[in-house]
Parts: sequence; C-alpha cells; structure tokens
Amino acid sequence: MKKRLVAVLMAAAMAATMTACGGSGSSDSAADTSASSGEAEESTEASGDGEELSIVLRGGTYADVIKACLPAFEEEHNCTVEVMELSEDDLKQNIALDALNAEGSYDMCMVDGSWMAEFTENEVLADLKELGYDLDDDIIEATKTICYSDDKLYLAPYYGNVTVLLLNKANVEEAGYATNEINTLDDILTICKTAQENGKKGFIYRGDTANNLVVDFMPILLSYGGWVVDDNNQPTVNTPEFQAAMEYYLELIATGDAEVKDDLIASCDTGAGTMGVGWPGWYTPTEDSAADYVAITGVASEGDEAYNANVYGIWTIGVPANSQHKELAAELVAYLMDADVQLDTVSIGGVPCRYSSLQNEDVLAEYPQYEVVCQALEGGVYRPVMAEWGEFCTILGAELDNIVNGVSSVEDGLQAAQEKLEDLVG
Amino acid sequence: MKNTSDKLLTAKAQKKRFAYSMVSPTIIVLLIMTAYPLIFTIFYSFTDYNLLKSAKRGVEFIGLENYIDLFKDAYFRQAIWNTVKFTILAMVFEMLIGFIMALFVNSLKIGQKIMRTLLLLPYLLPTVTVALIWRMMLSPNYGIVNQVLTALHLPVFNWFSDVRTAFGMLVLIDVWQTAPFVFLLLYAALQGVDGAQYEAAKIDGANAFQRLRYVTIPNIKGSLALCALLRTIDSFRLFDKVNLLTGGGPANTTATITQYLYNYGIKNLNFGFGTAGALVMTILVLILSSFYIKRAMG
Repeated sequence: MKKRLVAVLMAAAMAATMTACGGSGSSDSAADTSASSGEAEESTEASGDGEELSIVLRGGTYADVIKACLPAFEEEHNCTVEVMELSEDDLKQNIALDALNAEGSYDMCMVDGSWMAEFTENEVLADLKELGYDLDDDIIEATKTICYSDDKLYLAPYYGNVTVLLLNKANVEEAGYATNEINTLDDILTICKTAQENGKKGFIYRGDTANNLVVDFMPILLSYGGWVVDDNNQPTVNTPEFQAAMEYYLELIATGDAEVKDDLIASCDTGAGTMGVGWPGWYTPTEDSAADYVAITGVASEGDEAYNANVYGIWTIGVPANSQHKELAAELVAYLMDADVQLDTVSIGGVPCRYSSLQNEDVLAEYPQYEVVCQALEGGVYRPVMAEWGEFCTILGAELDNIVNGVSSVEDGLQAAQEKLEDLVG
Repeated sequence: MKNTSDKLLTAKAQKKRFAYSMVSPTIIVLLIMTAYPLIFTIFYSFTDYNLLKSAKRGVEFIGLENYIDLFKDAYFRQAIWNTVKFTILAMVFEMLIGFIMALFVNSLKIGQKIMRTLLLLPYLLPTVTVALIWRMMLSPNYGIVNQVLTALHLPVFNWFSDVRTAFGMLVLIDVWQTAPFVFLLLYAALQGVDGAQYEAAKIDGANAFQRLRYVTIPNIKGSLALCALLRTIDSFRLFDKVNLLTGGGPANTTATITQYLYNYGIKNLNFGFGTAGALVMTILVLILSSFYIKRAMG
C-alpha cells in the first residue's frame, strides 16, 4: 500500500514537473518567435524589451573592454547581454558550428580579420548596412578594407591590434639608439647583436604555433617588399624577396630565442631580451616603464623603399546571419563602435581604430604610445583575404618552423612550402 | 508428448523474448551512442566534408583520398612516430616509477595514508594546471629550473623551444602527472597479496629480489597488464599537454597524431580529413593495445 502511494505521488510529481517544463518551453519559444518576427521588431524598434543577447568574444583584454561597456547598453536598451569568452581557435569553431543552425545561438561575435573570406563565402555573417549600421569616416580607412564585400558590410573594426616592435628601452640605448631612431631592419639587427654581445638576448620570436611564426615574420617580409600571395591569391613564398627576408630573419633570431607570449613580454620588460614583434594589447608602456613599442618602419636598409609593414590582427565585430535578435545586435555593434564609447575604453585598455580616440590630446598626454599605434594602423596590412588562409598558415608555419630550427635550408623549406601551397590553392 | 514439447518450445521462446526485451534498451543506447558515431566517422572519412563549406556545396565522396593524403604527408608519418615513441617511453617510465612508489608505500609501517595522499596529488591536478605549472618552472626567463641550473653553473635550455629537449620535457611532465595513477592501481593490488606467501618465501631463503620476482609480480600481473593497457591507450591520445606547451613544435618534433589532426583537420574545419586520421589512430591504438588485451583476457 505504502509502495503504491509513493509510486502515485512520484508519478504526480513527475507529471507536474513535465507540465511546468513544457509550459515554460512553449512560452520561451513563443517569445523567440515573436522576437524574430518582423512585427515584433517593428513594435519594439530594436529596444531590448527584456530580451537577452548572447555574444561570443575572444577572451582577454578584447573581451574585457566590451564587457565594461555592456551595463550602460543594457540599461539604455532594457536588455541583458550574456558574454561567452573563448580562445581564438575555439571562437572560430563555435561561430562556424553555430552557423549551421537555422536559429543561431549568438547575436554578436568577434571575428579575426583572417576568417573574413571563409565566413562571407559561407554566408555566416549578416549585412550590417541592411541592419542600419555603416562605418563612419572617423575610422582609419585602411582598417575598413576587409569589412566590405560586394558592397555589403559584414564587420566593424573594433580593436586595433597591429604588430609593433616591443623593445627594452635600456638595451636599445646601450646600443647607442633612441627608440625613435630605429629606422631600418639593419638598425634592429645592430641593436640585437649589441645586446647579445652584452650578454643579453637580442630578438625574441614566438615559435610556439604556426600562426605566431608566420605573423612574427610577416613585418620582416613586407619590409623586403615580399608577400605570401600575389594579387590573385596565388602563393609567392619562394621568391628572392622572401628568401632575402628569411636570411635576414635567421640572422636576427640567432641573437635571441623562441619564447611564448608571456615570456616575450617579461623578457622585454626585465631587459633579459631586447626586442620582439608584439601587439599593443599586450603591454601598456608608461613614462617610467622599462619597455616600450614602436611602429615597424618597413625599410630594410637605409635608402631602401619604405613599405607598409605592420600586420593587422584587428578584432572585428559582426552579427551572425542566423541571429535571433539581429536589430538589437546591430544596435549593440553601433553602440560599441560609437566614437565616445570607444574613447572611454582607452583608459581600460581599448585600442580603437578611430582618429578621434588615437589623436585625442588628452589620450596622447596620458598614453603617448597611441601615436605609434595610429601610425601602425594607418600603414597596416591585413593577412590575405582567402578562404584557405587557415590551412595556408598551417602549411607555411610548419615549413618556417623547420627552417628556423635548422631542419631545412631556406631554399628547400621555401620550395617545399611553395609546392604544398600551390597544391592547396590549386 | 507432442503437447509437452510444444509447451517446452513456447517456454523457451518466451524466455528468449524476455531476455531480448531486457537487453534491448542497452543495445539501443549502445547503437545510438557508439555505433552511430562510428558509422558517421567512417562514412565522413571517405568524403571532403568541411563544416562550413559543405553546408553550402554539400559533401562529395572522394574514396581513399583522405587516407592517401595522410600517408603521403611526411608530417603525419612523423606524428605517428612521435606518438609511438611517446607512448612507449611514457608507459615504461610510468609503470616503473608507479610500481616503485607502490612497493615503497606498501612497505611503510607508518604514514602510509599520508604518503599515499601526497603521492596522488599530481594526478588530481587538471592537465591545464599541470601544463601551466611546468611552463612557469621551465620558463627561460623566470623559471626556477634554469635559475637552479645557472646557480650550479650547469647549461640551461629553452626547454619547450629546443629540438633537443622539448620531446623529453613532455614525457617528463606526463610521467610526473600519471605515475601516481599507476601507483594507485598497483598499490591496491599489492594490498591483496597474501602475506603468508612472503613468509613462506623467506623461510625458503628467498632474498628481496626473488620475493619480488616470484611472489609479488605473479600476484599482481593482472593489474600490471591492466595498467599498461590503460596507460598505452591514454598516452596514445595525448593532446592537451602538447597543444598547451609546444603546439607540436619545434620543427614538428613533439607533434602527436591528435595534434596533427587538430592542426590540419579540426582547426580548419576539415572534418573529413580529420575523421580519416582519427580512424587511422584508432586502428593503431588497437594494434598496440591488443597485446595487453589478450594478456588481460587470457
């Protein structure tokens, strides 16, 4: 009897729970449907109305800056924004996986410029212009180039990451240079060799992943007038320019060591190392800090042509094509890209791609390094816009790794890379 | 007579039906959870499936192309060699050190519990934590290892970026973390060995090594085989430590099969290529572990 009673009670509890879940689920789905319908959007005029946006970001400073801006947006639009922070690889995979769903989980995403071609080719992102947002003239022109495709705007350049030369001021001065006198690659080599003679490490490079190896080498390659692809996106890694840049790079890295990001920063800060290719988001130099960074001039030797040699690693923001709250998400993009909002992010580590922030007198008085960032962004170069860039980078990185570790000669390594990349691009 | 045999047959059939109905939920769950993903993996390994591109252009059957590409790639062959080398070295050292630890703790008269807990600590740490601890200790800038070596006037290395040391460091870290697992299993097995056998061996004049050789090892050989099997399978799948500490470099010297598949397949969303590699890996790990399975079963 007792058993029967317990069984009946349990069945009743289960039925009640299931009914409750079902009720809630159906109301949720109804809410979702109404939110995604045109009528609902019109009636709310993209104001939140208690909606919940889900955004996926690259973890670290990049996400921290956006998170700091969210409370004001949430209050202004009566909505909540749920943030997911991921590593670079996970971010790409998550966005790609979610793109397969008819109804996406994400409403705004952070996108690395090098994924642009793959994403647009596969219709992952929504046209921001169609959603009422467009880039303004205050944004540095060169940073906008990859954001458009077929007159559609898919991305907004949010965080102005661009390669800079991170250096230890004392080591540079010991070599007889001021930080603003590093005009050529030859100067860099001289400084690093002097540091090595003084018992310190010269040039520190990141040898931990294919992507890091390639990106660290790119400013050198650009300074020699070379590039990884031609105008038709065909590989050009076995050219005289590439070989000359590689020979120089081998001489340069022989003065130092391969280190991971944190070690590279620590090396430049403590003076154990002298220089390395870095990103503005890594280090905030002050008047008293031991390290500083300068833009890479793009000149190999004195009298040579000056090329744009700073490689973009700009983190852009966009709205997935399958977002369930596109209008509100576009409003969030517009809010985050607003000149005043971006100016406020400078004090918390933001690096806007805007003249009004980077040339602001107050900003420059407190953070003089933004002048360098602005120069670097004006003369920056995006990685090739091609759908195969991920594979391209992996293949090239593997061959560069062999060359820098002495497993392959420059000629053999570049020849192998060229052949494999031609196979890939077809 | 006929009636009786009919009844018996019906009873047998009913029993069979009952047995099937009892087993069927398990079979259904197994089919969904194991067979379907396996069939899915095998199928996609013969296609050019790319997560993003295939959503638009569809999936094309390409026969053995993924497998041919894999075996034509010198980096994949190197990854296989690295993985086999790593598996053998890690398994041997983990077994040896774990066994010595188990014998030591088992021989303690006091403090067994404390020692057991202390020795288990590395195994309880998440792999990410282990990787970060070792990265800090072996840092060329502020790492304690290089500082100690410098103080002793010994040569220092850039441990994870030097082709001479990176692979060895991965083996060392894996052994450090996983030897306690072997210790735990073997220690439990040692607890079950009858003390009378040691007494008898002692009376027969057996020395310590002979007692180990003729009493201890035969008594725990089942556990030894199980440990070896588990460590072989686990070491073969090594990924997280490599990905966090070396990314497969320098010069591909630490790239394991899983790291290769991640770099060339999964990371670029080429799941067709990735699944082909995963199947090759599964076959290799089955071959490697079949010896132990046979032994454990036998």
